[in-house]
Amino acid sequence: MQPRNWASRSPSFVAIQNSSRWRAAAQTIRYGPGISQLVEAKRHKNKHYLISDTIVLDQERCVVCWRCIRYLEEWEDKPQLGLFERGGATIIDIQPGQPVNAKTSGNIIDICPVGALTNRVARFSFRPWEIERTPSICTQCSIGCNTRLDTRTHTLRRVVGRENMQVNDQWICDKGRFANGWVNDEKRLTTPLVRKDGTLQPVSWPEALTLVAEKLQAIKSSAGADAIGGIGSAKLANESNYLLQRFMRQLIGTNNIDHRDGADIAALPSGLPALADLMKPQYGPDPKYDVIMLFGVDPSEELPILDLHLKRAVRRGKAQLIIAHPRRIELTRYNGPFMQYMPGGEVALLNGLLHLAAKAKEDKNSDAVKLVAKVTEKQLREVAGVEVDAAKRAVELLANAKNALIIYGPMPARGANGVQVRQALQNLANYTGHGERLAYVGLDANSQGCRDMGVLPNALPGHVGLEDELGRPHLEQLWGVTLPVTPGKSYSQLLDSAGDSIKALYIMGADPASERPNWAANLDKLDFLVVQEIFLTETAQMADVVLPAVSWAEGNGTFTNLERRVQRAAKALGNPQTKAAPDWMILDHLAGQFDANWAHDSAQSVTAEISHAVPLYAGMTWNAIGDQGRQWDAFGLRTSDDYAAAEQPVLTAEAGELRLMDGTVLYDGGTLFGLTRQLSNVAFGLHVAVNPADAARLGLEDGTAVKVRNRYGILTLSLKLDATVKAGVAWIPASLAGAPVGALLNGGLEVVSIEKTDN
Amino acid sequence: MAINNFFKGAVEIGTAMGVTLKTLTLKPVTTEYPRDPVPMYPRFRGKHELRRYESGMERCIGCMLCEAACPTGAIYVEATENDPEHPTSPGERYAKVYEVNLLRCVFCGDCEEACPTEAIVLGHEFALANYSRRDFILTKEILLNPGEPNVIIRPE
Ligand code: SF4
Ligand code: SF4
Ligand code: SF4
Ligand code: SF4
Repeated sequence: MQPRNWASRSPSFVAIQNSSRWRAAAQTIRYGPGISQLVEAKRHKNKHYLISDTIVLDQERCVVCWRCIRYLEEWEDKPQLGLFERGGATIIDIQPGQPVNAKTSGNIIDICPVGALTNRVARFSFRPWEIERTPSICTQCSIGCNTRLDTRTHTLRRVVGRENMQVNDQWICDKGRFANGWVNDEKRLTTPLVRKDGTLQPVSWPEALTLVAEKLQAIKSSAGADAIGGIGSAKLANESNYLLQRFMRQLIGTNNIDHRDGADIAALPSGLPALADLMKPQYGPDPKYDVIMLFGVDPSEELPILDLHLKRAVRRGKAQLIIAHPRRIELTRYNGPFMQYMPGGEVALLNGLLHLAAKAKEDKNSDAVKLVAKVTEKQLREVAGVEVDAAKRAVELLANAKNALIIYGPMPARGANGVQVRQALQNLANYTGHGERLAYVGLDANSQGCRDMGVLPNALPGHVGLEDELGRPHLEQLWGVTLPVTPGKSYSQLLDSAGDSIKALYIMGADPASERPNWAANLDKLDFLVVQEIFLTETAQMADVVLPAVSWAEGNGTFTNLERRVQRAAKALGNPQTKAAPDWMILDHLAGQFDANWAHDSAQSVTAEISHAVPLYAGMTWNAIGDQGRQWDAFGLRTSDDYAAAEQPVLTAEAGELRLMDGTVLYDGGTLFGLTRQLSNVAFGLHVAVNPADAARLGLEDGTAVKVRNRYGILTLSLKLDATVKAGVAWIPASLAGAPVGALLNGGLEVVSIEKTDN
Repeated sequence: MAINNFFKGAVEIGTAMGVTLKTLTLKPVTTEYPRDPVPMYPRFRGKHELRRYESGMERCIGCMLCEAACPTGAIYVEATENDPEHPTSPGERYAKVYEVNLLRCVFCGDCEEACPTEAIVLGHEFALANYSRRDFILTKEILLNPGEPNVIIRPE
């Protein structure tokens, strides 16, 4: 048979011809179908075999190369796949009834050489020759894994990992890979909405923007600039956040600008030193860090790829993990000292550690020791609820470590206590000689960048103080205004005083109404609420004007990950039927309504402006950042080595009360996550998790419907027994859809009582 | 000279009239379309059809090879997973959306040649004029239910 005439005509067919699958097909066309020399019947195995909700195994295609097994063993340290049977009948299989559930299991799809493992969310929705591939990053947590977005006909079809040896090696987690259904969801906002006669009605862009500008100007002249507040989002790009704070500061004239987990958290500006230092062990035996302490942060749920790097560091690099968390988190299986502290006992624990460190050194009169002179081991046991033995081991490791890295997350750093916790951490880190390597990690994709961009009520872009003698004039000159000097209100203060001293809010990419019912009530009292969103969230439903924005995949933007690496997320697709616009464009046009000519013609020009406005980002233009990102140098922003006393009021719990803890889970079932149908089974669900001992004491069983109540509110949830939760603690993860734990915590630490619901 | 021309002309007219007279008795070669059907050659390529197996299952497995082979980009296929209980086609996938845009199609027949299951074929229907642009998009519904199913599979 002759090669067909059509093979050379169509451009897409040329692409096919270059693919290896095609070459095999071409052989068949030229020489006819192969004639098998086998006389036995073909072996038949499972072709559609689910090894998890998201991965399908075709056992007939599998060549038993072991790569999937090795990945799960060598990287995840979870041997969930194995070889079964012998000889020609060998198959890859899971243990009966135990689907693969490693948080990064999707990577085995990428490394399977024959396509025996397929992505159940994406499979069959494209052929490889017809998709467009755009290098991008994942924006679902602060690791910022490098990804490639595969699109076809204006829809996102698949996300796969892209190599960046500084960040994610070549791996990504399952949330980043599979939970992207929301990008193409039909419920996305497509047109500006304005409230007319009580309902939100579609209008044109000029009408919406003119209304926003008129209303904001009216409120500014009647109630003053400080009656207006802006809320940015750590889930959005630097460009969006930079322009929002510029809008608030330059055109409204207020420092009332913050984001969730912004000024309410006692953070440190400098982020992790470098992820690559943790990744080193795979290339050689000398890890940069020999001891890693995790304080109130659970990488397995919050930062899955960091979890992968840590496992590697422990197993290959012989690094030691010290873990302090109210939950027996997954990484405690590596037998490092584990201090399961009681929420509210954070400072007691850290002071106790400092005390033990001083005792071990027989140091009696240094400044640091005087701060903890009154601390006893009894307090460590009773207030913090931590075994002294584990604490001693931890202190010994820290004291002997050459380079210890200490990481803390937002959970223990919230509110007034958070400031004390940070101070106590600084005391401990400085005393043991690791002050430079104490790091705060935010959890959202751009937690770091949002702070760098000055979306904070008390700092200008670049971590510059409001009255800084160098930074402030620099920005005033660039923006051509005199900037306000009074510090603004933080995120929680803005929402607490909404409807009272705050008359109008401009909320971009945040949904505070779903976080606390009293905030929702406050938002209702506002004179004017603008929400810039991609979905009609609870907050957007209350707005006077809703401005439709686009997601990270549909516009250009840069994100700064937890190690201060600025990375590009390039536009991968665009829906031709929507009127939604990128954040920078909306804000730029809005500024035009205020007679300001910002004159940005693209996201890249905003990126360029940031590189002038923020000295830390100097030179970071779109082209200079490149495909692998660029880290800014935190030298000079590192913590000071001053010691100060840290104290925390004791959180007392009556008999029958439990201390409440939040913290994030990867599969939270939140607004966006819930839109990927294939993942509905793995979502956390509306549970409150307690220790079985507590449940027995309270007379509750697994699955009981319970009311969790304290003076701030009531949540109705189902009870889940979880031995990893410390006795005396109730755990409700943050951002569960419909279970606003933030309402009960009220920005601090609280106790709750749990009782059966009546019915 | 003049007389010579006269005879020459008479012969020529006579020859021409001969043709006319001879043809007068022959059967006509044109067809009174649309009253009478047009004779169709087996390899004529007209409007597309999607075929089924005898069992009623769709032949098309949504492999998108026709889409790739089409030189004008006239075909759009959106494949999805078969429900194992009630499969639409044999195998794991089927075409959820299958559209041919007749405004682009040049009736080259490449789709037909590319198809591994002989699902898409070009039939014999050629009266394709229509009133709106939308109506030139052949949906899967139309393709699967042609007026007169085409049974001829071209040998090549
Ligand atoms: S990686 Fe693919 S081919 Fe290799 S053993 Fe696993 S399933 Fe089989
Ligand atoms: S680890 Fe974080 S950034 Fe990386 S893929 Fe997962 S969610 Fe995305
Ligand atoms: S006949 Fe040719 S132009 Fe028409 S759909 Fe088929 S491949 Fe495309
Ligand atoms: S018609 Fe044929 S070539 Fe086209 S998608 Fe269906 S099976 Fe594949």
